[in-house]
Amino acid sequence: MEMRQLIERTHLDPQVVNTWIEAEWLLPMGVRTGFDFSEADLARALFIQDLKVDFGVNDEGIAIVLHLLDQLHGLRSLLKNIRTADALAFGRDDG
Amino acid sequence: MAGDPYATLGVKKDVSQADLQKAYRRLAKKHHPDLNPGNSSAEEKFKGITAAYDLLSDPEKRAKFDRGEIDASGTERPHQRYYRDFADQGDWSGYTTSSGFADFGDFASSEDILSEIFGRSSRARRRGQDVRYHLELSFLDAINGGKQSLVLPDGSNLEVNIPPGTRDGQTLRLKGKGRPAASGGPPGDALIEVSVLPHAYFKRKGDDIYLDLPISIKEAVVGAKVAVPTPGGTIAATVPKWSNTGRVLRLRGRGVPRPDGSKGDEYVTLKIVLPKKPDPELEGFVARWQPAEESPRQSMGV
Repeated sequence: MEMRQLIERTHLDPQVVNTWIEAEWLLPMGVRTGFDFSEADLARALFIQDLKVDFGVNDEGIAIVLHLLDQLHGLRSLLKNIRTADALAFGRDDG
Repeated sequence: MAGDPYATLGVKKDVSQADLQKAYRRLAKKHHPDLNPGNSSAEEKFKGITAAYDLLSDPEKRAKFDRGEIDASGTERPHQRYYRDFADQGDWSGYTTSSGFADFGDFASSEDILSEIFGRSSRARRRGQDVRYHLELSFLDAINGGKQSLVLPDGSNLEVNIPPGTRDGQTLRLKGKGRPAASGGPPGDALIEVSVLPHAYFKRKGDDIYLDLPISIKEAVVGAKVAVPTPGGTIAATVPKWSNTGRVLRLRGRGVPRPDGSKGDEYVTLKIVLPKKPDPELEGFVARWQPAEESPRQSMGV
């Protein structure tokens, strides 16, 4: 989706969204003249908004939260792969 | 939300707004689904907490609830899609990082761990994700080709080689310029969708260029050698004498370059224009001129 649709759905200020992109909290595809946001980008923007508005986390804090969260998802994805491979290996041994 | 919002937030009936917010933040931080990617009950709890807070943080609603005029139902926020639902689909996104286990050395990536454990050399290594970009080109840059620089969201530059004759809507693929693979596999590609801006006077149809060329009455009547713009630069072309508006000159090989090295043509449609300012001399001798031919609208029966 374009910036306009993201703004409609999140009620965020375009300026704010641009700051988040500059800080690399959001990584939409496309270039400055035409960003293309995914549903994941939108959900991530809502999460940042929750952190800021509901929890009162400041910008420094948000950068740390996002960094740790991205690591957490990396580890979860790794664990999931290992579990899948595990199941495959057992399946192979049975056959 | 069922039950007592005060109990949900663990506060007393006479809690101040400040303490209410504190209690809410303490619980919400603990139960926000995005901070609990693996806990499926977090979402339900979080919904209850936010609903309770939305009710009690509004003094009017809180008073109504205290007087028993409303109950705690119907105050849930509309369902929100959480980031964890996307991040947890198993695939790596641009956000996911392996820095949480980069120090495992040889085990730095999940695919490596897998092949280490199971010795599955045949397992295809997963490529990094392709990334789509959009690039706006001027009409002539698209036709003549050349290098263009694309500024990425992270501020870095990507040099894009535009092949001559690039079309509107065409996608250029830059191999290996996409996201890096999480697993030591090859990086993805950058897919660049090109849109070409219109030109002030050139039009393109396939590999041919179309142009309306204004000429003066004198050039039309007695003929002339005139300068004609083409995508490759200005060239001289001959307007034959007695050329009417609508006459088309074909300039062979002056169109859009094709991949095989040949070029399309440029079609120049002549358009007779009067001088911008009224010219008494011209008016004078046209008024004296007695055309032999009848009305040029004869074919229309008028």
